[in-house]
Amino acid sequence: MYQKTVLVPNRLGVHARPAALIVKKAALFDCDITISTGVEEVNGKSIMGVMTLAAGQGTELLISASGEDEVPAVDELCALVASGFGED
Amino acid sequence: MRDRYPEPGEMSVRRLVELIGQKLLITSATGETGFSRLVGSPDINRPGLALTGFTHRFLHDRIQIIGETEITYLSSLDADGRVRAVRNLFQFPVYCFIVTKGFEPPAEIVAEAVDSDCAVFRSPRDTTPLIHDLTGYLSEVFAPRKCVHGTLVDVFGVGQLVTGRSAIGKSEAVLGLVERGHRLIADDVVRIRRTGEELLGTGDAILGSHMEIRGLGMVNVPVLYGIRSVKDRHTVDIEVRLVDWNQKPDFDRTGLDRSSTTYLGVRLPQIILPVLPGRNIALLLEVAAMTFLLERRGVDIPAELDMKLIERMREPSGG
Repeated sequence: MYQKTVLVPNRLGVHARPAALIVKKAALFDCDITISTGVEEVNGKSIMGVMTLAAGQGTELLISASGEDEVPAVDELCALVASGFGED
Repeated sequence: MRDRYPEPGEMSVRRLVELIGQKLLITSATGETGFSRLVGSPDINRPGLALTGFTHRFLHDRIQIIGETEITYLSSLDADGRVRAVRNLFQFPVYCFIVTKGFEPPAEIVAEAVDSDCAVFRSPRDTTPLIHDLTGYLSEVFAPRKCVHGTLVDVFGVGQLVTGRSAIGKSEAVLGLVERGHRLIADDVVRIRRTGEELLGTGDAILGSHMEIRGLGMVNVPVLYGIRSVKDRHTVDIEVRLVDWNQKPDFDRTGLDRSSTTYLGVRLPQIILPVLPGRNIALLLEVAAMTFLLERRGVDIPAELDMKLIERMREPSGG
């Protein structure tokens, strides 16, 4: 198990488009991935799950993974969130 | 391409009579004279001014429509005048004449036509609606067209062109749709022609209502499912491309980013649908059709959901 936290930087937060980017990225890895806001924890490969988080700007996300490729999975997902999904 | 339309090069006056004679209510006033003449353009012409001798811009390579204007003009002339007027037209190799509104074709036109091996028809129909039906049909015959490997089915009135590699399951999916009461237009080979900004799809005249199901061979859809299960033609409204579900999927997860494709210069919405054993493709195609109908009415479910989500994140409680 490998995990890291990251802040949601973009103004609109994790709405549908960022959620789609997260699950697409997550689907590239074989490991199990969960994302948590502290309130809720969801499967990182489920778009409905990731949207349920309603993670607005400034929310701290805990991204956890377990499996063969857990380290690159968590690192790349954190980098994606930190990038602000190409939004302001 | 042998579909339900003749090749443009085969569009003789005889074919015209066979194909839309009944719709236009035309009968020949000249027997079978001029029936082998080819119709080379979808347009029509009203000879009008050419009768007066102004043939400078006379569009002879058209079907000539003689309506009330021409008839009234001709009957204002004496017999010699009528012959002179009519000969103005017969200097040119016109396709054929149609005299509308139930007027009897003037004897001078019939005589000249027989001499120059040209057909003259009469129709009881009004001029403008007859012209609409005639040019409508001919513009389909002469329309730009292409042949697409895929299956066209009418799902809730949406013409769905289902494409994808051979053996991905197009026919099976469409059989599922037919089973659910939707209508097959063409399987495997879809002839698409462009009329205006619209794409019209048809199948092969004989093969159109058959499908090949691997392991079962050829099946005849209307024999199995009844006449309501097939249709001769339908607009092509959306393409659904079936693709293999691979390990690195990169397809639309939200429906926010609709893609499109182009056939014969007409833009067509396109959905990429990954196929996996156990996925009920017929069911998904139905949902795709309904989604298309909603979007056409301005209802964009993914965008609405996205707005609600953004709204929720703005609430002070954070949802």
